[in-house]
Amino acid sequence: MGKFRRNDLGGPFANTIIVIILTIWAIAQIYPVFWLFMSSLKPSNLVRARIFDLPKTLYFGNYDFKKLNEYGITVLVYLKNSVIVTSASLLLLMIVSVLAAYGIAKLELPGKDVILVILLVLIGVPVHALMIPIFYFFVRLNMINSYWGLILPYVAFNTPFAVVVLQTYFRQFPNELIDAAKIDGCGDLRAFIAVVMPISLGPVASVLVISFLAIWNEFLFALVMMRDNAAKTLPVGLMGFKGRYVVEWGPMMSALVLAIIPSIIFYFIFSKSLLKGISAGAIKG
Amino acid sequence: MAISELKKRQKIRKRITAILFVLPALLFLVMFVAYPVFQSIALSLFKWDGAGSWEFNGLENYRKMFTTDRYFWTALKNTILFTVLMTCGEMFLGFIYSVLVDLGVRGWKIFRFIFFLPVTLSQVAISLLFVKIFQEDGLVNAMLGFLNLEGLQHIWLGEIKYAMWCLIITSWWIYGGWHMVFFLAGMQSINPEIYEQAKIDGASTLRRVFVITVPLLKNVWFVLIALSFILGFKMFTLVYIMTTEGPSFATVVLGTRIYRYAFWVHKYGYASTWAVVMVVASLIFAILYVKFTGYREEALAE
Repeated sequence: MGKFRRNDLGGPFANTIIVIILTIWAIAQIYPVFWLFMSSLKPSNLVRARIFDLPKTLYFGNYDFKKLNEYGITVLVYLKNSVIVTSASLLLLMIVSVLAAYGIAKLELPGKDVILVILLVLIGVPVHALMIPIFYFFVRLNMINSYWGLILPYVAFNTPFAVVVLQTYFRQFPNELIDAAKIDGCGDLRAFIAVVMPISLGPVASVLVISFLAIWNEFLFALVMMRDNAAKTLPVGLMGFKGRYVVEWGPMMSALVLAIIPSIIFYFIFSKSLLKGISAGAIKG
Repeated sequence: MAISELKKRQKIRKRITAILFVLPALLFLVMFVAYPVFQSIALSLFKWDGAGSWEFNGLENYRKMFTTDRYFWTALKNTILFTVLMTCGEMFLGFIYSVLVDLGVRGWKIFRFIFFLPVTLSQVAISLLFVKIFQEDGLVNAMLGFLNLEGLQHIWLGEIKYAMWCLIITSWWIYGGWHMVFFLAGMQSINPEIYEQAKIDGASTLRRVFVITVPLLKNVWFVLIALSFILGFKMFTLVYIMTTEGPSFATVVLGTRIYRYAFWVHKYGYASTWAVVMVVASLIFAILYVKFTGYREEALAE
């Protein structure tokens, strides 16, 4: 009798039917992803000709990404760029937004309610209205194709959501613990790092994984900023497959798998905190 | 006198500490969000090809967009159509998922995991995958062939009648589970005793869903409509990769036009004019969103 047993059907028979419906639906839902994985493990000619068949023997030839270099698609370079940009952005983002969220929730900040509403509105600002000025800002600095051109804006784009979610959590944090630390002679920053942070890793993790997905998968802004093949992140690099019939299906499928595997792993590990964090910003917390 | 002076100083110090905590975030937001937005709005009144200086153009860009640009009304119509159909389908799917999952069947966590999975994946990868699915020799046509329905086979992304629907169906596939998570969170906050009481009164399962769950989630519905509209208006990746506005501009939307005006033909001022339309739309939905979440009341109550 978990907390999810709210509106039960009241019979094992009805329950079985629901499970069957859900299972069929879930299989249909997951099938495209399954097909992608399956196709990446077959030689290209079989991907097309025997479109539904499971691979008879696992063929890993598609994962030899060096073969794609002749088409100008350097998957491993894109992977490296994505890893660098994503991890640097996440590190900065977490420092910046954790501090701000704590300041809004627990410190005597003037006009904090106004700041909060502004942050909520900023979540909705489309990147279309930012990319032209930011692009030219970095053009003037001669920093197109530089990692910083993605990292700094990514931190800014993801700050509003991160701060909003984190501050709802910090608000509920017991004041007594913070006050006790201050009586022991801690300043605000020390009290925050030594007392608040260690018990707040759960919400931080949920914001971290949501931001990871947003940054790892970001496409439009990276498309604008990263022009050189050597600077492209994975989503931009994968564009090389668009509309190209020369490249065989197999190698493309394996490159797509490479792009989605980190998301699936993160999602698998953090699914609980991720699902909690997703709705935290919207359902009043 | 001295004590009040001391208190005042302490208060100022506390405020400075608080501001220092918020300052880094504020700097990032001003530099890379607030200032660029205002620059874009300003730029919408200028002519600029990226090389020379900004050339003041008054409201000429707006006049051109509203009256002579043959893509604007099509793009706006398509964006609204896409957004509305995407929202309806996703919410319908998400609600069914959540009701079924919330019934407390065994393994509901696995179902929740699978339904939400597409939200976490790269939309570029999804788009490229769905191109292969809808392609002439792709998965959909292969399935139709397998079922001996060759007559229904189409070049889905290449025909005006179907291209937009391919995009919409893909968006349903992606975001259905996203709505489910919000609904589930809302359902968790409903007191189970209400269901218990209704059960005693003899209400069937389906009736309980309509009489209790649907109205009690009123706020969640509105929040999701607002969020989904923000997403729909910004839509870029699916369109840009799956159809590139084609065939014959049947799937042209605001998001792709702005990118193409700016970075294909270097009309930065004019592209900004389009971007302003998107900002205004997003702002309206964002305000509705803030209203429905009840954040404002909560913040002001303190």
